[in-house]
Amino acid sequence: MKISLNILLSLIFLFPLPLLSPLLPSSSTPNDNAIVSLIDQTCKRTPYEDLCISSLTSNPNRSRAAGVKELAGMVLDSVLLNATDTLAFTRLLIDRTIDPEVERPLDYCAELYIPVVKFTVPQGRDAFYRGQYKFAEYCLTDAARQADACEKMLPGSAVSPMGDRNRIFQQLCSVAVAIIDILSKDQ
Amino acid sequence: MDDATSKSFDHPYTVLGEDPSLVIPPAESRQRPTKVYFGILTSTVFLLSLAGLIVRENPNRAENSIPAAGTAIPESSQDNVRFLPVGEAEGVSAKSYPSTRGRLSFNWTAADFAWQRTSYHFQPEKNWMNDPDGPLFHLGWYHLFYQYNPDSAIWGNITWGHAVSRDMIHWLYLPLAMVPDHWYDIDGVWTGSATILPNGTIIVLYTGDTNEAVQVQNLAYPSNLSDPLLLDWVKYSDNPVITPPTGIETDEFRDPTTAWTGPNGTWYVLVGSRLNTTIGVALVYETLDFKNYTLLDHPLHTVDGTGMWECIDFYPISTNSSVGLDNSATGPEVKHVLKASLDNLKLDYYAIGTYDEGNVTWTPDDPEMDVGIGLQVDYGRYYASKTFYDQNKGRRILWGWVNETDADYDDLAKGWASVQTIPRVVTYDSLTGTNILQWPVEEIESLRLNSTEFEDVFVEAGSLVPLDIGNATQLDISVEFEIESTQALEESMLGETESQLECSVADNRTTLGPFGLAVLADESLSELTPIFFRLVKSNGTLKTLFCVDETRSSKATEVFKEIYGTVVPVLDGEKFTMRILVDHSIVESFAQAGRRVITSRVYPTEAIFDKAKLFLFNNATDLNVTAAIKIWQMNSADIHPFPLY
Repeated sequence: MKISLNILLSLIFLFPLPLLSPLLPSSSTPNDNAIVSLIDQTCKRTPYEDLCISSLTSNPNRSRAAGVKELAGMVLDSVLLNATDTLAFTRLLIDRTIDPEVERPLDYCAELYIPVVKFTVPQGRDAFYRGQYKFAEYCLTDAARQADACEKMLPGSAVSPMGDRNRIFQQLCSVAVAIIDILSKDQ
Repeated sequence: MDDATSKSFDHPYTVLGEDPSLVIPPAESRQRPTKVYFGILTSTVFLLSLAGLIVRENPNRAENSIPAAGTAIPESSQDNVRFLPVGEAEGVSAKSYPSTRGRLSFNWTAADFAWQRTSYHFQPEKNWMNDPDGPLFHLGWYHLFYQYNPDSAIWGNITWGHAVSRDMIHWLYLPLAMVPDHWYDIDGVWTGSATILPNGTIIVLYTGDTNEAVQVQNLAYPSNLSDPLLLDWVKYSDNPVITPPTGIETDEFRDPTTAWTGPNGTWYVLVGSRLNTTIGVALVYETLDFKNYTLLDHPLHTVDGTGMWECIDFYPISTNSSVGLDNSATGPEVKHVLKASLDNLKLDYYAIGTYDEGNVTWTPDDPEMDVGIGLQVDYGRYYASKTFYDQNKGRRILWGWVNETDADYDDLAKGWASVQTIPRVVTYDSLTGTNILQWPVEEIESLRLNSTEFEDVFVEAGSLVPLDIGNATQLDISVEFEIESTQALEESMLGETESQLECSVADNRTTLGPFGLAVLADESLSELTPIFFRLVKSNGTLKTLFCVDETRSSKATEVFKEIYGTVVPVLDGEKFTMRILVDHSIVESFAQAGRRVITSRVYPTEAIFDKAKLFLFNNATDLNVTAAIKIWQMNSADIHPFPLY
């Protein structure tokens, strides 16, 4: 009995670790390291690496990212979320302003973002999941064009009421296109 | 005269030295070996003589005048035939196609033909196109369908081609939407329209030419309404839904319109035909489900003497706002436009009038300007136009088919034929109250690159001003001309005899015209297409003619070279304005903000690529004008196949 106690104690110390692992902070699990690595490597191949990384790491679904395809889906979600937020923000600005000079370009921008949120990005996402990558990219490029048109109507981002939202949105679209490109090439 | 904000115009310009009254040289001058210098143009001249070198189309047309129901039709109707007469062999091969004019074709190079292709107008990659069909907006995309022959650059084997765009400018080609594959459309899937029901359902009614060459109306709908591209279409299993009624010729019964609502959930649709061969008629069908139809015992409207009405269009227009209206709209401030394409003349006519909902009839505001005898939609090469209500932006949009005016064998050689106009917004002209206004959709402005502006350009009588703008084959031009008050002119013209209301050629100098722009002109003016105003005294007042003179547009002899024109109302205090879209072999010209429009096809042999230039001119003998002009270079619309995978 004395001998088995020693063995028993060492077993108690060794075995519970794997069993306890899900309870430990996730940043230290092998699976999560793989995801971080996947995100890093993928984002390196996009024109806005930092934006790509921050967008993906903040995505609540990131633990399900098994490959580039899931990352692409996640970025598309970000694009839609970003456009929806920008539209809501623009509408808020319109409500708050009384100066027609300020309101006019904001109205114009809202008009541009409405179809982006309603049609363009959702259709791009649907196309992506159907494997129609070029269609998806067309939608993203088109969405970015609308943001560009909006930006052109506003004063520079330092003084623009919309700040750098259009610029960030365009960059996010570029990131999405780049990741879809990776998928197309790797096929 | 100098204006700091615009390109200062400091080129002196003078009339040609030899004969101060001539801006246009006599015909012989074209043979002068000396290459006339340009720089500051002075030496350029238009041909004076009508005789000799210029080969004329239809020399019998003493009607360089503006006939009310003009025939700008070539001698052979083969060239703009929409469909071959019943019984005739179809699908003629290139080898057996006869030369329609017996004249030698110009020795076109591949580069010449390539230049002719437009850069921002819709046209398929190759082969033949005609009527626009079923235009609509759905889930973020504008759709255009069109009569299309996938096999040849002449009419035949007609299918529905399909393209989509987010902005009606940047089009993407899609697979064919419908092909002739049932007995009821085996001889052709012809023209039709789309109706979007209140619940979002899309239905299409189109004419099918049956295996026995009978014209029937068929129902089709998208197989998947949630597909934003509407790629696949289903034909109703029980087609046709409408067959020619008794008393109507089975080959004169076609082109169903978009439907509109009547009381108690009924829908109405029009089909065009003719009675007693000479009376144009809009037959009315009533339906609840788009599958079963009843012919009303009276037509919506008829007009004697106008013949077969093709491509009927019927839509409401607001008289007190520029907002577009859905097809079912009615109200005190709503009028209805009835339009027909006259098969006899190959011209599109329309009239504004009042729709009686109770009787389902329509009456023109002015019976003397009824459909087919009054206003034309477009006074140039233009046919089979169709509108739709753009619920995306609340506009009424107009499409129009523009056929080639070169020879069929040219089309076969170059492998394509026909373009569509830039889609136009249609509104009511509340200033005149007698016509519609058409204007290119504002989305076209996304193609604008750099612009050049000239202000206060004094163009005295008998002078020509070159506009140095670089490339002159893809342009969006806005120009306005100011003259001394028309009242003063009228007084000074008191003693003058009245003239015939005719455009005539640009080199015909009259007292008060012509003045305008010469597009697609080469430096020596051996080729040019003048677009101009000419003021003429008629019936005691001054009338303004708006004209496009193609007679010197090309040295090629087998192409049509028409003079198109119309009187355009110019109201007190208005300047004379034009907007011109130049896009290689098509020119769309709008006068007085779209009060009158002329679409033109030209095929220069010299004034192409970087040799094409732009000029202002004033060929009047006794009138000076001042012009302000802004010219944008236009980008290509990069129309290409839809990138799916």
